[in-house]
Amino acid sequence: MESVEATPVNPSGESGTGKASTKSTSPRWRYTLAVLVIALVVLIPVFVTVMLAFRPQLQSRSHSFFTLENFSYVFSQTQVLTWLRNSLTVTLATVLVAILVAAPAGYVLSRSRSKAVSGYALLLFIAQSFPQIVSIVPLFVLFAKFNLDDNLLGLAIVYVSMTISVATWMMAAYYDSIPVALEEASWIDGCSLFGGFVRIVLRNSLPGLLSTAIFAFLLAWSDFLIAVVFLRSDTHFTLPIGLQTFFATNSTEWGYVMAASVIVMVPPIIVFSFLHRYFSVGGIGGALAGH
Amino acid sequence: MNTRGRSDRDGISRRKFLAVAGAASALPVLLDACGSSSTSTSSGSAGSGASGTIAFWDGEVGTGQLNTDAKPLVSAWKDGNLTASYEILTGNLYEVIEAALAANKGPAVAGGYAYQAFQFADQGDIHYADHVVEMLMQNGVYDDYLPGLFSPLKTSKGYVGIPWGVDTRALWYNKSLLAKAGVSVPTDWPSFLAAAKALKKIGVYGYVTAAASSNSAYGTHTLASFMINNGGGMFDEAGNADCTYDRNVEAVEYLLELVKGGYVDPGSVSYVDTDVYTELKNGRAGMALANATIPEECGTDPVTGDLVVMSPIKGPHGDTGTIQYLKNYQMYANTPSVAGSEAFLTWWNQQFAGKTGFFAKGVTAAVPIRKSVIALPEVQADPQLVKIINEWVPVAKAESARCPHIFSGLATVDNGTAMVQCIQSILQGNTTATAALQTLQTGIQNYGASYKA
Amino acid sequence: MTSTRAGSSNVLSGLSRARKGVGLGGRSDRPPRPPRRFSNRSITLALLVAPSVFLVVLIYGYPAIYSVFQSVHNGNLVNPGAYVGLQNFQAALHNPAFWQAVRFTVVFCLVGVFGSWVVGLALALLLRKRMHAPGFFKTLLLLPWVVPVVVTSTSWNWLVATPTSPVPRIAQDLGFGQLLFLDSPGLAKIIVCVYKVWLSFPFMMLMASSALAAIEEDLYEAARVDGANGWQLFRRITLPMIARSTYISWILMFIFCIGDFQSIYLLTGGGPVGSTNTLVVLAYETVFGNFQTGPGLAIAVMMTLVSVLVAVVLYRRIRKVEIS
Repeated sequence: MESVEATPVNPSGESGTGKASTKSTSPRWRYTLAVLVIALVVLIPVFVTVMLAFRPQLQSRSHSFFTLENFSYVFSQTQVLTWLRNSLTVTLATVLVAILVAAPAGYVLSRSRSKAVSGYALLLFIAQSFPQIVSIVPLFVLFAKFNLDDNLLGLAIVYVSMTISVATWMMAAYYDSIPVALEEASWIDGCSLFGGFVRIVLRNSLPGLLSTAIFAFLLAWSDFLIAVVFLRSDTHFTLPIGLQTFFATNSTEWGYVMAASVIVMVPPIIVFSFLHRYFSVGGIGGALAGH
Repeated sequence: MNTRGRSDRDGISRRKFLAVAGAASALPVLLDACGSSSTSTSSGSAGSGASGTIAFWDGEVGTGQLNTDAKPLVSAWKDGNLTASYEILTGNLYEVIEAALAANKGPAVAGGYAYQAFQFADQGDIHYADHVVEMLMQNGVYDDYLPGLFSPLKTSKGYVGIPWGVDTRALWYNKSLLAKAGVSVPTDWPSFLAAAKALKKIGVYGYVTAAASSNSAYGTHTLASFMINNGGGMFDEAGNADCTYDRNVEAVEYLLELVKGGYVDPGSVSYVDTDVYTELKNGRAGMALANATIPEECGTDPVTGDLVVMSPIKGPHGDTGTIQYLKNYQMYANTPSVAGSEAFLTWWNQQFAGKTGFFAKGVTAAVPIRKSVIALPEVQADPQLVKIINEWVPVAKAESARCPHIFSGLATVDNGTAMVQCIQSILQGNTTATAALQTLQTGIQNYGASYKA
Repeated sequence: MTSTRAGSSNVLSGLSRARKGVGLGGRSDRPPRPPRRFSNRSITLALLVAPSVFLVVLIYGYPAIYSVFQSVHNGNLVNPGAYVGLQNFQAALHNPAFWQAVRFTVVFCLVGVFGSWVVGLALALLLRKRMHAPGFFKTLLLLPWVVPVVVTSTSWNWLVATPTSPVPRIAQDLGFGQLLFLDSPGLAKIIVCVYKVWLSFPFMMLMASSALAAIEEDLYEAARVDGANGWQLFRRITLPMIARSTYISWILMFIFCIGDFQSIYLLTGGGPVGSTNTLVVLAYETVFGNFQTGPGLAIAVMMTLVSVLVAVVLYRRIRKVEIS
C-alpha cells in the first residue's frame, strides 16, 4: 500500500535520497513552509467554522475573543447528544455491515476472473454511477413495507449499499497484495476455500478493512438527504438532520450554527487523524483496471 | 432545504417578540365552549372502541418554541383509547410527506406549508374537514374568525383544513433612516420611489429582498405583492394564468425602475430571508417587504424600535393590496379513527386561542385571524401587529389573485422555478417587464397550474 | 490426489488466468492447485458475493425500474397517473433549461475532474519532497474531503454569500469592484466549480500518492545519469508510470461529479436563474420543487443513462491500457 513516509523520491531531479544528508536542511524547511502555507490557505473554510464557534455573538455579554457559551447553548438547548448517539449508532452499523458484505465480495473480485465476476465488477461500476437523489422516495416506500422506515438500521442498510462499490474495490485491491501462494499452501493442508479466505487473507487484511471502515464511516456520518426522508421521530434524528433543524431556527446566530458544525465535524476528523495511515484508495486503480 | 436556514415554503415563520405593555383590551374575550385551551383532553367525541395513535406532524414554526411547547401537550392528549404523537417535519416537506403517504405511513393530522392541504387533497389523501366545520359553526368558534379568512379553504369537495393564522406580507421601513434622509413615509408608488431615492443619497439601499434559488420567499412575494397592489395578479378571475395582464406589467416595470435606479440591494438576487434581516438590522437597507416578525428577527422593539410597518401604499390606479398565506392544519385519510382525527384537530385548533394559547405566548410567528385572539392584551400590545391586522389583512389576497379561490397548482407556482427566475431576472435588471412576465406565464402554464372547480 | 471434474472448468480457468500489471500477490503464472472439495468452489464464491449482489440489485435496481416507470407516466409519487410514452423526454429535450443544465454539467465535470487532478497531483508530488511531518500535512490536506459537506458549505456561504462577506469585502478593498459571487451567473458558476475542486482534490491526491509511491527509484537514477532534467523526468517517467491510476481516478471523479447534488444545492440551490443547475439538481428541483414527477424523472433517467454509458466506455478502454 502507499506510504508517504517512505523514502521521498524526487522526480524533478533534486538532491535527496535515503541517506541522511547534512546539507539538505534548507530545502527541507522550504518545503515544509510551502506546504504549511498551502495547507493554511486551503483550510480557511475549516478555520472559519472553528473561529466563529468560539467567538461570542453580538448580543452576548462577553467581550473576549474566546468563549464557550455557543457550545453551552447548543448542548443545553438542543438534543445534540441524542443526535450524536444516533449518528454514532447508524455509522457503526454501516461500518460493520459494510465490512461484512464487502470483505467476502472483494475476495471474489480479487481471486476470480470468471465471466460472471467480470459482470459483477461491471455491475458495481454501474451502480456507482447512479444518482441516489431521486431514488430516495421509492426506497422509502420499499423499506416501509418491511417496517424499516424511521429505523436507524434501515438507514444503515441504505448507506451500506451506497458504499458497496468502493468498499468492494478497496478490499479487492488489498487482497491483490496478498499472494495466492499463501492460500494455496492452506488448501494443500486441507483447508476449504472459505477457510483459506478467513484464516489467511482476512487475517492479514486489517489495513484494507480499516480503509473500508473509514470510507463507510465518512459516508454514513455526512448524509442528510436520505436520513431526512427515512427518519421520522425526532428521537431518531442524526446529527445532519439535527443541525438542519437548528439552522432553520437559529440561522442569524452564526456562533451557534458554527458551534453545532464543529460538533458534527470533530468525529470524522478524529477518526481520520488516527487512522489515516490505513486509508488507501490507491489500490482501487489496480482492482478496477483488471490484471 | 438549505443550510442557510428556512422552514416552510410559503414564508418564513419566526417567533414574534411581544413587548407586554399591559394595555388591556375593552373587547370581551370569547371563550371556547368546547373547553378551555389548557386541558389536553377532547370532548370524548371519538366514540368508544377506537384505539390507536393519531400521528400529528408539524413543520418548524418560528424559533421552534411552539414546537417545544407542543410536544408535551400533544403527548398528553387522550380521547378514549386514542393517544397522539408529535413529530417535527424538516427538510423538503413535500418530499417527506409524499414519501410517507406512498408508503402508507403518513400522518393523521398535519400542518406545514400553506398549499399543502390543497395539494394532497388533489391526490385524494385528505379527509375533508366539513364535519369539524359544522361543529365549529355550532359552538360559535367559526364566527370568531375574521370574515373571509376561513372560507378560502372550502373547495367543491369540502373544506381541506382548518385555518389558525395568516402570513401577511407588509412593507416595513426604518423610521430613523427615513428621517435622516429627510423624506416622509411613503403612501403611494411615487413617494415610495422618492423615499428609495432619498435613502440612496445617504448611502442606504432603498429596498432589500431575498431571491436565492434555494430560499426566495421574500423575493417572489415582492413580485406577487406589487402585482396585487396594483390590482393585478398572476391569474385571472377564472383561475387561469394571466401574467401579462397590463396591471402586472405596470407592477414589474415599477420594480425594474427601482432596480435600475440602483435603489435595491444588489445582493438580493442571492439573499435568503436571514440576510434581509441582517441588512435591515445593520441599517444598510431602509425598506423591505416582510412578514410580521421583523421586530423579533431584527432585535428591535415593536413599540419603540426603528423598524415599523407603513400603511399599504397606493398603486398608480389607487389600489392597495398585498399577498398573504392562510396557514392551516389538515387531516389525512390514513388514520386509526376519523372521529379521533377530528377531535384532535378541534382540540389542537383551540390551543392557539385563549389566554394561555400560542398567540398569547407569542410563539406563532403569524398574524391571528380570530377576533378573540386579536383582542388579547398580548396581541394588542404590539402596534406593528395591530397595524398589519387593521390595515394590511383587509386588502391582502391569496397568491391566486385575481381568482378568489385557492387551488393546489399554487403549490407549484409559489417559489417554483418560474417565479424564482422571474424575480431573479428582474433583480438583475436585464429584462423587460413583458419578457419576464411572458416567461412566467409559460412556466405556470407548463405546470398546468390553474383553478379547476 | 487431485481430481478434476469437468463441470468446474470455468472456475479453474478463471483462477489460472495469469495476472498482468504492477503489484504483488495473486500474480503467479502457474495455476494454483484447487482444494479437495473444489466442486464447492463456485458455490462458495457465489455465496461470498451474494449479499453484495442482493443489496446492489435491491437498492439500485428497484428505484431504477421505478424511475423509468414514473418517467413514462404523468403522475406523482403516490399515484402513477396516465401513461404518456416519451412525452416527458421530448418535453425535456425541448426545454432550454435542460440544455443549460447539460452545458453546466459538462463544465462542472470537466473542471471538477481535471482541476482536482492537477491540484491533487501537484500536492502529492510536493508531499514527496523532504520535509518535516509530511504525514501531518497530508492529514491536514485531506480535511476538505473528510469534513461533511453540510459543514463546509455553511462556511463557504459565510465567506462569499453576501456583499459584506469577507471574501467580497477583501476583493473590493483590493480594487476588484463589487463581486457578487452568488448573484451573477458567471461568478456563481466559478464559485461552484472552485468549491468542487476544493472538495475533491484530497481524493485525487491520495490516488496520485499511492501511484507515485509505486514508481521505482532506479528509473529516475538511470535517467538522471543520462542527463535528463526535472521536467523531462516528470513527463517521460512519472506521468506514464501513473497513467493507469490517473485514468481510473478521472473516471471515478467523473462519476462522483456528475451525480453530486449536495455540494451545488447547498451552496447556490441551482444558482441565479438556474445557471448552476446540473442535470441532477434540475431533476431534483423538478420533482420536489415544482412537483413535476414525470418530467423530473425523465431528466434523471437520461442523465443516468449518459453517465453510465460514458463511464462504461471509459472503463472498458482502461482495461486495455497496458503499462509498457
